[in-house]
Amino acid sequence: MAEDAFESEALSYIDALYRTALRMTRSEADAEDLVQETYIRALRFREQFTPGTNLKAWLFRILTNTFINAYRKRSRQPQTAELDDVDEFSLYRRMSQDTPGSNSSDPEQEFLDGIVSSEVKEALAALPEKFRTTVLLDVEGFSYKEIAEMVGVPIGTVMSRLHRGRKFLQQRLYEVARERGIAALRASGPRPD
Amino acid sequence: MDCDDCLEKLYAFLDQELTPGERNQVASHLEGCTDCLDNVTFEERFLKVIRDCGTSDVAPAELRRRISERLRSDIPPTTA
Repeated sequence: MAEDAFESEALSYIDALYRTALRMTRSEADAEDLVQETYIRALRFREQFTPGTNLKAWLFRILTNTFINAYRKRSRQPQTAELDDVDEFSLYRRMSQDTPGSNSSDPEQEFLDGIVSSEVKEALAALPEKFRTTVLLDVEGFSYKEIAEMVGVPIGTVMSRLHRGRKFLQQRLYEVARERGIAALRASGPRPD
Repeated sequence: MDCDDCLEKLYAFLDQELTPGERNQVASHLEGCTDCLDNVTFEERFLKVIRDCGTSDVAPAELRRRISERLRSDIPPTTA
């Protein structure tokens, strides 16, 4: 490994770290601080990194730890949200019920195409912290095992947080779509007089 | 495998987290069940919407410059 290989590879993950930090902290200023702190720690503890192993995962582990520690210190109240009420929500089922007589050949795809990026970001921001962190690490392509190690919970907890986090996002985006009427949910069926 | 078993494993299937044996079980159920297949396809598309969101966001240039400088200054001087 060339002497500056660590530095150049580490820098190549800055955009991924920043966008994850932005969604974790929900603030540009906090995201910048978090990313900077991540690199400072990475340099301080670089001896602990084994060359040839996954540098991206190592950096995200530092990012996640730094965020969780700072977040838990700041939030006085313990996290109580479990989101068990969204467990059974299925957007697919809801769509099938809402659009039985739809004119569209693919109402589900039409619904998904209608979702804009800002709505997904808002839905993510509304997710309670532990679910949000897990979903964001999944978005970056990490395995259940890697996420479990980063967050410090068993794999089963990662699976359950991902499941509930995704269902929460589905429910939220469904409500948003229904409000703006873009999903053409009931509009495509016969209208009451 | 019935539909309930299939739905329970749906995310692990899409996340490539099943053992080859479990994966085959889900795959063969999907071959014979249009409803589950449609459901899996929808969930797959939904996950793509979530994953694609914000991928164009980049770190501010000033932050990149600051971190790049810090990383460079940390490279130990080469000894001939």
